[in-house]
Amino acid sequence: MMEIAINLLIILIKILVILAIALGIGAYLTLVERKVAAHIQRRPGPMVVGWHGLLQPIADGVKLITKEDLFPRYGNRFLYNLALIMALVPAVLVFAVVPFGPTIEIGGREIKPILTDVNVGILLVFGLGSLAVYAIALAGWASNSKYALIGSMRKAGIIISYEVAITFAVMGPLMLAGTLSTFEIVQAQIDQKLWYFWVQPVAFVVYMFSLLAETGRIPFDIQEAEAELVTGFTVEYGGIKFGLFPLVEWYVEVLTLSAIAVVLFFGGWSPINIPFLGFVDPLFFLGPFAPFVWFVLKVALLLLFVLWLHWTLPRYRIDQITAIAWKVMLPLALLNLVITAVIAPLIWR
Amino acid sequence: MVKRVFQRPLNIIERILFIDFIKGLTVTLKQAFRRTITTHYPYEKLTPPKRFRGFLGHKVIDGREPQPAFNEWVERMKIEVRPGSSRCVVCLLCKRACPVPQLFEIEPEKLPNGKRVIGVFNMNLMLCTFCGLCVDACPVDCLFNSDIHETASYSRKDAILDLKALEEIGRDWQRRREKEEDKIWSDDEQRQRLWYENDVSIR
Repeated sequence: MMEIAINLLIILIKILVILAIALGIGAYLTLVERKVAAHIQRRPGPMVVGWHGLLQPIADGVKLITKEDLFPRYGNRFLYNLALIMALVPAVLVFAVVPFGPTIEIGGREIKPILTDVNVGILLVFGLGSLAVYAIALAGWASNSKYALIGSMRKAGIIISYEVAITFAVMGPLMLAGTLSTFEIVQAQIDQKLWYFWVQPVAFVVYMFSLLAETGRIPFDIQEAEAELVTGFTVEYGGIKFGLFPLVEWYVEVLTLSAIAVVLFFGGWSPINIPFLGFVDPLFFLGPFAPFVWFVLKVALLLLFVLWLHWTLPRYRIDQITAIAWKVMLPLALLNLVITAVIAPLIWR
Repeated sequence: MVKRVFQRPLNIIERILFIDFIKGLTVTLKQAFRRTITTHYPYEKLTPPKRFRGFLGHKVIDGREPQPAFNEWVERMKIEVRPGSSRCVVCLLCKRACPVPQLFEIEPEKLPNGKRVIGVFNMNLMLCTFCGLCVDACPVDCLFNSDIHETASYSRKDAILDLKALEEIGRDWQRRREKEEDKIWSDDEQRQRLWYENDVSIR
């Protein structure tokens, strides 16, 4: 009885920590994005609220919460609110299978820093990722506005195209690791002394393209397209409801997909890898914290890379985006799968 | 004639390795680590160039009036010269030149000795477009555009400049910038100094 209570307590603490990380960092990523964008354009960005605008996300949150909650007259109120929940919940739920570090011991008890180490973790990630399309289709439909509807249809088309490519792209690392559990994929990379990026660069490129497309980042942000569609499917949302959609789409989803990319291609919490030889750890002095720092560092670098791309590239047309998905990315991913199947026995040994 | 520029198609290596992406990314990365070039407006402000057309004002009589025009107009309009007050000779040429003449309200004041001085001079800046035609029309170099450009006010009444306010702006201008050399802003040293405070070269 006592054992169950302690286990439940541990799970509760994990949930709280992960929720705090997902939403808190998601909110602060708005500041990071604004700063990165500003400096690329040689502006300082938010500077007034707090030191170098450090309290800006809180000010924005308070402002959004206190704004009036508007609703379009001929919209469907139930679907309108349901879309918001369906966007937020799956995006945050993906964090349940993100492993933050190796198994640690606290008070003689082995704790995995992952909420649930399910043996189909990656399947769960992409299942939940596909649910985002429902949220966006509902948001556009329930708003009863042409801009919102066009935006949501574009987004749905993009997600359906790229879900196929991303699934075939991650199959390469999965084949090398021989498991679907995120924790064991990282463990396999450490055992094989190989980040899968070194043998799967094509899969990584396809994955990155799909990441940008699914999260609506430039160069695939045609469903936002400020110049033609105002802001796409979020047009009719106001106040904090408007704030939550970009928070989920641009920050929480990018965060989760970056974390999954780190798990699949960059060996999760492992230090710098020399293929087939071993690992070099310049952060050894951090002791037991080093793996966590490595994981956070890799996710942060990948995230900054996504932001950097966002503020560099122009935007593709919708037909070009889907053409890239079906004509370039999918054949590349399939070809990569075949090559991986040939070289996999060499890596399994 | 249209200049035809041949655009080389990407070769296979450029396609595979995203060379164009990398070129763009290096440009943005280089810019990201350079200094910012903005002015933090309410906290730091740039000095406008001398020819800037801001709030209007009346220059006061201080012995630097354009001669002989000033003396001729004083004689013609029978104006009493009072050093330290407005140079205005009530000729109404500014009102004539204005595209929106009703923004001027000009009345002379008759003195017991038969001479006149300017009594009422109101400018309703809510109607003003700061075109500067009145300034060009002024024969005695009295009306002028100052460098005051923050024109927001709490009530409509504050947007109307009366003679007192115009003279105040004029005295302020004559003290600060009257003697400054008249240059266009791009080679104005004062403005460039403010830019160089941020270690920025403007081209």
